[in-house]
Amino acid sequence: MGEVKINNFKPKIVGYLCNWCTYAAADLAGASRLDIKPSINVIRVMCSSRIDQNLILTTFFGGADGILIAGCHPGDCHYDKGNYYARRRYALLKKVLETLKLDPERLQLSWISAAEGKRYATVVNEFTERIRKLGPNPINNNSYF
Amino acid sequence: MGEKIGIYICECGPNIANKVYIDKIIEKISSIEAYKNKELVIKNHKLLCSIDGKKFLEEEIKQNEFTHLVIAACSPKDHESTFINICKKTHLNPYLFRIVNIREQCAWIISDRDEATEKAIQYIRGSINRVSYQSPLEEKKLDSNPDVLVIGGGIAGIETALSLASKKRKVYLIEKTSKLGGKSAKFRKLLPRQNCNTDVIQKKLLDVEENNHIQIFKETELEKAIGFFGNFEVILKNVKDNNLKTELRVGAIIVASGFKQLNTSELPKYEYTQDDDVYTSLEIEEMCSQNGKVLLKSGEEPRSIALIHCVGREEKGYCSQICCNYMLKIAQYLEQQSSDIKIKEFYRDLCLPNKDDQFFLENLQNSAIDFIRIKDIEIKGNKIKYIGTDDTKKEIEVDMLILAPAMEAEDGATELAELLNIQLDETGFFQEAHQKLNPIATSTDGIFIVGAARGPSGISESILQAQAVGGEILTQLIPGEKIVPEVKVSEVLEALCKGCQTCLNVCTYGAIYFDEDRGISVVNEAICRGCGNCMGSCPSGAIRSKHFTNPQLYQEMVEALR
Repeated sequence: MGEVKINNFKPKIVGYLCNWCTYAAADLAGASRLDIKPSINVIRVMCSSRIDQNLILTTFFGGADGILIAGCHPGDCHYDKGNYYARRRYALLKKVLETLKLDPERLQLSWISAAEGKRYATVVNEFTERIRKLGPNPINNNSYF
Repeated sequence: MGEKIGIYICECGPNIANKVYIDKIIEKISSIEAYKNKELVIKNHKLLCSIDGKKFLEEEIKQNEFTHLVIAACSPKDHESTFINICKKTHLNPYLFRIVNIREQCAWIISDRDEATEKAIQYIRGSINRVSYQSPLEEKKLDSNPDVLVIGGGIAGIETALSLASKKRKVYLIEKTSKLGGKSAKFRKLLPRQNCNTDVIQKKLLDVEENNHIQIFKETELEKAIGFFGNFEVILKNVKDNNLKTELRVGAIIVASGFKQLNTSELPKYEYTQDDDVYTSLEIEEMCSQNGKVLLKSGEEPRSIALIHCVGREEKGYCSQICCNYMLKIAQYLEQQSSDIKIKEFYRDLCLPNKDDQFFLENLQNSAIDFIRIKDIEIKGNKIKYIGTDDTKKEIEVDMLILAPAMEAEDGATELAELLNIQLDETGFFQEAHQKLNPIATSTDGIFIVGAARGPSGISESILQAQAVGGEILTQLIPGEKIVPEVKVSEVLEALCKGCQTCLNVCTYGAIYFDEDRGISVVNEAICRGCGNCMGSCPSGAIRSKHFTNPQLYQEMVEALR
C-alpha cells in the first residue's frame, strides 16, 4: 500500500527564483524545450536575498513539500552580495527546520546562472525526485500537530 | 469596490495554443466560485505582441475600464515592457498589470498537454489573486544636473572629459598631482607601431587644457560626496592647502584614478638598492623620454641588459596584461640605441592578446634578443639566479636590470571607494557593477569606473572605456530631462521599525539611513534598487519591498499549493 501511495505522490514544490539569473535560466530551459517536472511552481523575486525566513516557513506551513531557492552564482549577484546573504539565511533556516521536525532536505538553495538552462532542468528534476522519495510534507498530515 | 480584471491569453502562434488547451483554461477560470465577486473578462488572442494584438489590447482596456490586467503569455523578460507601454497609453497603472509566463514555464517544458493546461491554470489563478493585492505605484521624476566630475587626469580621465565636452557637457576634471597625463604622458613611444608620444598623448593634453567646457583642478582630491545619480553634491580639497575647498553639484562621477606599479621592495626575491642599476619599466620610459637613451648610473652605455617580466605576478594573483607588450617595446628601444647591447628577456608566459602584438613579437624574434622562459627567478643587485623550464639552475650577471612590476590600484583607492560608497574587488581595483554585462558601471548608479582604476588596462583599452562611459552618460543624463528612479523600492514601516539598523549594514547601495529623531531606518528611494535584501534581513518585518510584498507573494504561493 505504502509503495503505491509514494508512486502516486506528486510533490508540490515552490521555486523562489531570482529575476536575473535563475529566472532567466528557467526561460532558457523553456526555450530549449527541456522536459521539466510540473511539480515546480515558480515565484519570481528580484533577488534571492529578498526571501525572508518567514516566507519560507509560511510556505512550508502552507503545505509545500519542497522549496527551491535559486539565484546567481557567488560573485555574480546583480545586486553585488545578495546571494551571500541568501546563503546565510538558508544555513540558519536549515537549523530551524530541524527543530520543527521538517526534514531540512526539503529546502534547497542552488546557484543557477542565466546560461544554465540545462542545469536548471536537472536541479528541478532531481529535487522533485528527492522530495518524491521523502514523501508528503508531514504538516499536511493531521498527526503532525 | 468592484474589481474588473481583464485576463488575456496569448496563443503565441502555435507556441502556446498547441501545447495547452486554451478553451479549457477559459472555461475553468470562468467557473471558479471564489471569483464570483470579481468581474472577469477572459479572452484569447493569436499574438498579443503583434501590431494587431497591441491595438486589440489597448482598445479592450479602454472599453472595459479594467481595474487590473493579467496577461498569460511569454516570459516577462520578453514582453512585460511591451504590455507596460500599452498600460501607460490607457488609464491603467502598469503596476496593476501582471504577466504570467505560461510559455517558458508550461507550454515549452511540460510534454503532457493536460498537465501543461493544469499548470497554466494554476499560474493564472496565482496572478489573478496577486493583481488584486498590487498597488498602483507612481513613477517619481527628479530634476537632474547634467554636469560631470572626473576623478583622475590620466589618459582615461582625459578621454572621458573630452568625449563629454565634445557634446558641450560641463566637466570638472580633478588631478591630485600638478600635471595632467598620468603615466602615459611619461612614455617615449606608443605601441604597437612605435608612434611618437607627442603626437598622441600630448595632443590630447593640449585639447583638454584648451577646452572651454572642461574645468581643471590640479593638486586636488575628493573630500566628500553625497547624493545619487543626477544629484551629487561634492566637496573638493586642495592637496597642499586643505582649507582650500570647492563645492560642486554634478549628476555623475567618473573614477579614473589609475594604477601604480607594485613596490618591488615588498618582494624578497628582488633585492637591490638605489645604487644598483635596477630600474622599473616606468623609470626607463622617463629616462628615454628625457635623454633619448638608456644609460647606467655611471653615465656609460650598458652592454648587457636583462628585462624581467611578471614581477609580483604570483604574489598579486593576476596578470597585469600590458607588461609583456611594453617590455618588448623597451627591448626595441634598446636595440635601436645600439646593436652591441646584449638583451635577455626573462618571462614565464607571454601575454600578447591584441591583434597587432604578434607582428611586433615576430619582428623582435628575428633580432638578437634572447628570450628565456623561466620557472622562478631571484635577483640580488645586478646578479640573476633563475630556474629554466628544464629545471636547471643558472646564474648570470648583467650591467642593468629592467623590471616589469605588477600593476595595482593607485594609492588612495580604498579611501575613494569609501567616500563614494563603491567597492573594490579582491585584487584591490574598483569593482564593476557586473563584470560582463555592465563593466564600466559600479554598484552605485551614476558612478562609473574607467581605465586602470578598474583593472590592468593599456592606453587603447582605457580610451575605449572612456568613450563608453562618455556615451553612457550622454544618453542617461540629458540636460533638462528628469530622472526616473526605480519604483519597486523598499519602504520602512515606521510603526514596526525597532531601530536595530540591521538593514543599514546589508544594503549594498547605502540607500538606507537612520533617522535619529524618529529612531527608525529610512529608505532613500532615489538610491534603492529594489533587491529586497533589507526586507529579508529585517527581524521586525518592518520593511516592505514594493511590488514584491509578502501578501503579493503569498497569493501566488497559495495557488501553487492548492
